[in-house]
Amino acid sequence: MYAGAVRWPRENDPRMHSVTDEELMLQVRDGAGETLGVLFERYHAPLYNFYTKLTGDRALSEDLVQEVFLRILRHRQTFRDGTPFRAWIYQIARNARIDHFRKSRPQVPFEPEMAATVTPGDPAQQRQESELLHKALMELPEEKRELLVLCRFQELPYEDVARLVGCGVATVKVRIHRAMQELREIFHQLQAAPAGSAQRAAAHNLPPRRMT
Amino acid sequence: MNCEKIAELLPDYLQEGLRVDQRKVVEGHLEGCVECREIAGIWKKLALIPEEQPSAEGRVRFEAMLQAYQTGRGSEGATRRTERKGASMWSVLQWLRSPVGAVAWSIVLVALGTYFGLQLGNAKSSSQQDLAAMHTELTNMRQMVALSMLQQQSASQRLEGVTWTRREEQLDPQVLSALMHTLRYDPSVDVRLAALDALSRHAGQPQVKKTVVDALQEQQSPLVQVALIDQLVEWRDAEAAPRLQQLRQTPNLNPTVRQRADWAISKLN
Repeated sequence: MYAGAVRWPRENDPRMHSVTDEELMLQVRDGAGETLGVLFERYHAPLYNFYTKLTGDRALSEDLVQEVFLRILRHRQTFRDGTPFRAWIYQIARNARIDHFRKSRPQVPFEPEMAATVTPGDPAQQRQESELLHKALMELPEEKRELLVLCRFQELPYEDVARLVGCGVATVKVRIHRAMQELREIFHQLQAAPAGSAQRAAAHNLPPRRMT
Repeated sequence: MNCEKIAELLPDYLQEGLRVDQRKVVEGHLEGCVECREIAGIWKKLALIPEEQPSAEGRVRFEAMLQAYQTGRGSEGATRRTERKGASMWSVLQWLRSPVGAVAWSIVLVALGTYFGLQLGNAKSSSQQDLAAMHTELTNMRQMVALSMLQQQSASQRLEGVTWTRREEQLDPQVLSALMHTLRYDPSVDVRLAALDALSRHAGQPQVKKTVVDALQEQQSPLVQVALIDQLVEWRDAEAAPRLQQLRQTPNLNPTVRQRADWAISKLN
């Protein structure tokens, strides 16, 4: 079935540096499937981190990233000129996750060893703090955690996040503030009693409602 | 300024989206307020959580998927690329000039005439009924447009035809059957995928599920096969499991499709 190796443009190809995500996606839409390789290079690590921070499950995160790119190919005709690609791909990513959890309830709890991949040389205290913060983040209710991950780690502007979750920009800001207040409280609780409380894995929270 | 007022500015402060004067106000507040200062501190510290690196296997899987997709498209890609430019509006214009398009136009004009006639005649008593009749007529017209466009030469016009069918809650049996035919035999992967999406809303029709199951074996494009498998899982169609078993035993089956079929079988059983 395979007709030899297909070569597609790579991110390190100098011709690709100046091309925007939107231009690449328009090419994919119009039949140049191989261009998706460049978008994969740009987005697979951020998407993987989006998923690991939300689910705490590496294997599932890898699967969901694949699912996103499969969906891009399937639904590429729906990409419209003028749509910001970043917001579009995160919409697909959100839906892929929501659909996954709709089909099967989450089973894998947060892996406490996940935060262990800290770069060597970090002061011990800083590492401990970041581990604790990671645990606190995983204990936040699903919807709040997702908002923080989108705004803080994926660095999506509030306007894009508002469109993604289907509410106004002001509402997103209010929710972010509340999420940060709650994160602070959980962080303090964990600092006071670090052992055992991380067992209350975040995975028991169901994902938010799918936007249609 | 109190915490409540600062809360309105803090999210923008955190994303560095404030004007200098507003930023100074927030910073002034942070100096004197422990809670807000801690929130800002935690926001900064979130950057300490390390980024994870996905495994190299992910890239291999992606490349296999992309290759499967390219294989499925075959020579179709080249023709489609040239065809796409401005296809959408042009295809509709072209269609409107065709004989079927002309008939549809006349129906629209008659419907509009009826509507304005009713408005002018102020026939209040029967207007509800007439409006309902006109609605049916417009629905029929849209379905006719869909049917006609599904039979066009160019893939973009057929794609447009599939889009027309999506505007309807209930499909005329003839349109439904044309869509099922499109799913099975259309030469374009894009059109087949779009037809599957359109059909997914009509799972209530027994023939639709059967067509999707039958299409599993017939499809050559791995992308369409994967989409069909996903659809069967979405429908939780347990009867499809034996057919999926059959599919996964096909010699030379694309590995991505086989993996997907295995996953689907585990879901359905």
